[in-house]
Amino acid sequence: MSRRAFTRSLMAAGVGMFSVPLAGRRALAASDDEATFFTWGGYDIPELFGEYKEKHGALPNFATFGGSEEALTKMRAGYVVDVSHPCNQALTRWVSSGLFQPVQTDRLAHWGDVMPELVDLPGNDAEGGNVWMAPFDWGQTSVTYRTDMFELEGEESWDMLWDERYKGRLGSLASGGDAWWCGAIKAEVDFKDIDTPEAFDKIAAVMREQRPLIRVYTDDTTTLEQALASGEMVAAMTWNSSAVLLQSEGVPVKFAKPKEGALTWVCGVMIHKDAPNLDRAYDVIDSLLSVETGKFMIGEWGYGHPSKKAFELFDDETLQGLGLSANPSNILDAGHFQIPQSQEWETKMNAMFEEIKAGF
Amino acid sequence: MVLLSPAFGFMLVALLVPFGILLLMSLWTAQGFGFDTSLTLDNYRQLLERPIYGALMERSLSISGSVTIATVILCYPMAYYVAFHVHRNKMIWLVFITLPFWTSYLLRVFAWKVVLGYEGVINSGLMSLGLIEAPLEFLLYSQSAVVITLAHAWAAFAILPLYVSLEKIDKSLLEAATDLGDGPVARFMRITLPLSLPGVISASLLIFIPTTGDYITPALLGGPDGAMIGNLIQKQFGPINNWPMGATLAIVLMLCIAVVSGIFILLTMLVRRRIS
Repeated sequence: MSRRAFTRSLMAAGVGMFSVPLAGRRALAASDDEATFFTWGGYDIPELFGEYKEKHGALPNFATFGGSEEALTKMRAGYVVDVSHPCNQALTRWVSSGLFQPVQTDRLAHWGDVMPELVDLPGNDAEGGNVWMAPFDWGQTSVTYRTDMFELEGEESWDMLWDERYKGRLGSLASGGDAWWCGAIKAEVDFKDIDTPEAFDKIAAVMREQRPLIRVYTDDTTTLEQALASGEMVAAMTWNSSAVLLQSEGVPVKFAKPKEGALTWVCGVMIHKDAPNLDRAYDVIDSLLSVETGKFMIGEWGYGHPSKKAFELFDDETLQGLGLSANPSNILDAGHFQIPQSQEWETKMNAMFEEIKAGF
Repeated sequence: MVLLSPAFGFMLVALLVPFGILLLMSLWTAQGFGFDTSLTLDNYRQLLERPIYGALMERSLSISGSVTIATVILCYPMAYYVAFHVHRNKMIWLVFITLPFWTSYLLRVFAWKVVLGYEGVINSGLMSLGLIEAPLEFLLYSQSAVVITLAHAWAAFAILPLYVSLEKIDKSLLEAATDLGDGPVARFMRITLPLSLPGVISASLLIFIPTTGDYITPALLGGPDGAMIGNLIQKQFGPINNWPMGATLAIVLMLCIAVVSGIFILLTMLVRRRIS
């Protein structure tokens, strides 16, 4: 029995209304006219939707998740949104779920500015020049550390998050989609072999080694940022934005360039096959791809953006300071780029990582 | 019977049917993104074999046990005071005592995060008094943080039943005990406490049952060592993607709570019989 069939039979039993996300039920407390954007916590801000707001006088509706696996589970159980926000590693699994429709690139006003190397991802080619996922943000997962509190021994490295000297003052993202892959880099597992029993053993071993050192695992980046700002933590696994935000607040932090290489990714947006507000879904995507949004993403958050024109607004020096480049492959290929995995791998990895986080 | 039927109908739809579904699902197994619907006890066997499930279950029961004890002990004097020493405007007192509980549960949890945090109220207070050099780190992201927060969050559910049972005590019994030579302590132990036991029992159950499965508080304040079974159940339905295992855990949690509550009620009945 499939999960959708199951939720449908729940409805038939008349208990549908009391259970979790349901077929055809849209985001709560939201206006029916606006598109719903189901995204990572933190992306639900007006700065990214200037164009959309101008056109429609309101923001899209938002629903947020802490990890894209959680998001896919919800949508497979029948939660319908217009646009959602996976990353390249999840792309093929999201497509094979059959829950999404191709993005018709000719309906996007800003598609011409998009850098082709971000579109050309494994499994992204839908027929007729269309794509499954329009790229939106790209960047790295690495270590943000306090330059005044963390005493560096040699080069910057993933070892920083395994440093016994700072037991209880290190933080980590909770989602296996980031942490497990960083563990693979630390354990020197080639991403091509990440689906082997030996890789599981090796990565699990380093994650178990790290666990007693970690103050908190969280999907809430604000928690990590506040802890770094107060000195509660001296180093944490974060994305680009945390370091840039803290620097702009005057906190002495640095986004490390680990000698083993950072974890790199490209995230983007996909349209649900039953998107109730399809036209506005395209407006959401256009707004995300716009130069103004790109300027904000690069300048304020330190993320890469697909718009060439947005990158033209920054000089090389600024970009270098942010750990970015107008040529994405400079960054993405220098690190370890995530590779799509099977559903079985994803489930097994998550189950194992949850056990490790709980101390087993 | 006619009067009962709406409530019974609601119970049937909102409680019994979902429970049946949960029970059925716990006998299935996860298969990729779907279910293998052949009935098996595999999940229950796994639950016994893998140490994580038992350990988290045990931790949840012990955390909510501590919460129950702390809450009842802290709330009893408050309820006692209102029942015996406040003579006018009792209603207003009760409203004021429960006032903090009118704010959202989530908001109260976050408030505790601020109070217990690294640069929180307690730490900065102690540091400015010069009592500690560096912030106390065990305050947040620990089991004690979870116990403190839950004890505060559920206090209203203890105060009200305790107050009701204390209020009902016939004051002339206390006078009679004093006349017959009991001191305040003996009087409390022999009259007030036994007669307020029903309140203590219902307060304990009202707190113990919901807190065992609590998931927000440990998720926000528990840190790695403070995770409870509720968090694991949520993960089963989320990223781990094993709904049947989540259902199994929920059923076993229910059973554990029922057994502990049953034992607790039996014990209090025995104690009551011995006292009287």
